[in-house]
Amino acid sequence: MTSGKIDAPIGIGDDYFERFGVSHEALAKVLSAAMARGADDCDLFFEHASSTAVVLSDGIVNRAFTGVDLGMGIRVVVGDQVGYAYTEDLDVGAMIDAAKIAAEIAQGTRSIAPVALTPRRYADRYPVGRRWEAVGIEERIPLIRGWESAAFARDPRIEKVQVSLSDSERVLQVVRPDGRLCVDYQPMTTAFVACTAIDGDVRESGAYNVSSRSDMTFYQDADRCERLVNKAVDRTLFLLTAGKPPAGELPVVMAAGASGILLHEAIGHGLEADFNRKRVSIYADRIGQQVAPDTVTIVDDGTLDHARGAINVDDEGNAAENTTLIQNGVLTGYLHDEISARHFGVPSTGSGRRESFRHAPMPRMRATYMLAGPHEPEEIIRSVKKGIYCETFANGQVQIGAGDFAFYMRQGYLIEDGKLTQPIKDVNIIGNGPAALEQIEMVGNDLKLDEGGWTCGKEGQSVPVSQGQPTILVSNLTVGGIGA
Amino acid sequence: MTATELATEGRPVLDSREALYALARWAVKSACDAGADEAAVSVSRGGSYELSRRDQRVEKAAASRSMGLSLEVLVDDRFSSHSTSDLRLEALKVFIRRAIDATRLLEKDRDRRLPERSACGSSELALDLHDRTYAKVTSEDRRAWAEQMESAMLAHEGRAAMRSTTAQWWDGWSDSVIVYSNGFEAEREGTFFGMGAELTLEDKDGRLPEAMGFYSTRHFEDLPSAEQIAEEAWTKGEERLGSGPTESGRYPLLLDRRAAGRVLGVLLGPMGGASLHQGRSCLQDKIGEQIGPETLSIYDDPTLVRGSRSRHFDGDGFPSIRRAVMENGRLSMYFLGQYHARKLEMEPTTAGASNLFIAQGDRSVGAILGSLPRCIRVDSFLGGNSNSANGDFSFGIRGMLFENGEPVQPVSEMNISGNLFTLLPRFAEAANDTWRYSSVVSPSLLFDDIQFSGL
Repeated sequence: MTSGKIDAPIGIGDDYFERFGVSHEALAKVLSAAMARGADDCDLFFEHASSTAVVLSDGIVNRAFTGVDLGMGIRVVVGDQVGYAYTEDLDVGAMIDAAKIAAEIAQGTRSIAPVALTPRRYADRYPVGRRWEAVGIEERIPLIRGWESAAFARDPRIEKVQVSLSDSERVLQVVRPDGRLCVDYQPMTTAFVACTAIDGDVRESGAYNVSSRSDMTFYQDADRCERLVNKAVDRTLFLLTAGKPPAGELPVVMAAGASGILLHEAIGHGLEADFNRKRVSIYADRIGQQVAPDTVTIVDDGTLDHARGAINVDDEGNAAENTTLIQNGVLTGYLHDEISARHFGVPSTGSGRRESFRHAPMPRMRATYMLAGPHEPEEIIRSVKKGIYCETFANGQVQIGAGDFAFYMRQGYLIEDGKLTQPIKDVNIIGNGPAALEQIEMVGNDLKLDEGGWTCGKEGQSVPVSQGQPTILVSNLTVGGIGA
Repeated sequence: MTATELATEGRPVLDSREALYALARWAVKSACDAGADEAAVSVSRGGSYELSRRDQRVEKAAASRSMGLSLEVLVDDRFSSHSTSDLRLEALKVFIRRAIDATRLLEKDRDRRLPERSACGSSELALDLHDRTYAKVTSEDRRAWAEQMESAMLAHEGRAAMRSTTAQWWDGWSDSVIVYSNGFEAEREGTFFGMGAELTLEDKDGRLPEAMGFYSTRHFEDLPSAEQIAEEAWTKGEERLGSGPTESGRYPLLLDRRAAGRVLGVLLGPMGGASLHQGRSCLQDKIGEQIGPETLSIYDDPTLVRGSRSRHFDGDGFPSIRRAVMENGRLSMYFLGQYHARKLEMEPTTAGASNLFIAQGDRSVGAILGSLPRCIRVDSFLGGNSNSANGDFSFGIRGMLFENGEPVQPVSEMNISGNLFTLLPRFAEAANDTWRYSSVVSPSLLFDDIQFSGL
């Protein structure tokens, strides 16, 4: 595909970085410097990002933050060895200096013939009518105020409401020695409502957020705005009466949606191909093996329109795709960047991502979810005599090699004799990835992608991701409850 | 040097402390000229290097030099904060003008103020955060240190089946100045050096337990030897072989000195100004209350010489002062910056913790473990979180079950759960093994009767 077929957002043409003096001639010089010591490959990654956050607390919209980030990073690759340097100064001299530092990883000499740069655009998954740059603070304030008053109006026990509206736009440009020049405009917006409620002596705080690669029209959806407020209030009030589950091993039903955190931690990270190339993941050498029941199919999908984890192009200049990780229980593939793809002799899956120009890319998740299965959600709950039902989550973590993973359940229910009974809150749940996969006993027919602003951290880099899941039953996880 | 000595276009050359001050003063003046009543500007520059080795060759070498400017403005009792790495003067002028324009659109909040000039600190304290030998470090030195680290790891091959090891070296420096429109000016600089390794072993059941040993210090001479780090990483790795959950129940918990920070976070979260102000703190109105045993005292010490989070002044510009967080079991302070202190009508302290210090006890970890029939030593955490509104916590853990001082079962896939107000009274004893390589300067800590969930 070429640029002729996809419209660029207003003002974001393939020549975007020329406004900073980054001409094709300058790019050719920097590429040449990066490859001068006989590297196999390199990439130049330019980024111009701006962000705005407006915050309401104590009934007043009393704080704003804006940020601007501009710079470029150079990665030089020799086999699986990487040299990296970056500069915030886009003068050609500064870029060449950085290229020389990155090129120190290579040990030879070589000159490359200049290749004409050809702009490429692969997809247009998050078109915007108006860039965030053009949206004034005064347009954000009525939304924020509206959400605050709606939250207070819901229940007299709500004592405090805090609201924030954050948005960002990131223009990136990837340039490769093979002539690829990919420019992408990546918008993001996140609305957040947090409440504190008091009932007698009990004090609790809860929150909800929605996030998307969208423009201001995202908030024209009245249902979404209502959900943002109502869920923040409901979650807070829920916690006022919730208790603790028993401690120990229990069957766990994961509700549709944010439960995808299980996939992200228990499976997703372990299938990032850098860990498998180094054979330090518990899933190393297991391609082609049955790792889960045949009702389980898991994908990592960068192609969902407006999803937080969607990308048109990855940060190495490759098209994003929908990658099948587990097909009917069989491990079919890893998430690849270019280094791991070369190692395994497969194409990149378009999963090479990075936090910013200050970092080298590596395989990362985009939107990870399990496809729907055959069971009604009610049937799944009914099948459990004594267990827990997990509905919302705060955070998770995994040990790649040992395979142990954990996620923190913010709210859920006890399941007793097939019914949801006592509300429960605030427990860590822990298991082992391959064991948990084998123990997925039922998969619901209600796949839902969570709409929240999930951020994935790996080796000091954060990237936005999405996750989703139908209702599932895992027969045995260790619940950090109280008492036996 | 004055603002007028800056170039009129292009990027200012930030090659000296004075150049940082010149840009910061120019930005303060520009903001005030554009309508700010008060402005605070910080300009920083820094550099870092990172080198990793695997399979006896360099895996990754990264170098950076970076600069940035951050700005806080008050315009007609309205407040906003901004940051940028685009330091071209023309871009900065637009950035500052937009910052002021955006601020005018917010609502008034009279509690946002810069501190009085007289309340601000200075750069006078002798914290020794900058290693003067840093300037002499060469690329060859870095390569040699990373090689030493890798060789030290590989020297242990054969102790257990090794899948992989990665050795790392990193170092960096930073230099920043802060200029307020009220005349406060101060500077800070520092260096850091780090060395360590990751180790992945092969377990009998196909699992690949990882262990790591990483050290970071302000001065090169304070780093331990590569051999010491390697020995620790291998010992930890071996201790994780054959791990699994043990029976759920209540056990004494010996919290390893390196893991203390995570548990202290349960206490620090509700001590923060934002938590208190938003009504989501379980420590509200508890200053002076006995919430721990008399044997437990915790200090926040930003003045620790060569400390990892030592600082001359805090984010508000307040001078660094060592304070009791908890003294003899009584809650002694909240972390209140200027803003939240005004909101809560209390005296400000400091907006966030720096180095936390807990005094060590008399007995060794071995002696403590030997005196207990059963005890789980927790070495690290996996996931977990805490609720600042009620003090509940729940964390995944890894560690070792001891019986009468003997290690009997490496444990993993377990959780600990409880509540701050029942955890603190169960503090029993501090060991004599203070850990000095982190912002939590703590010995290993023994707690009685903690809920573990496992089998």
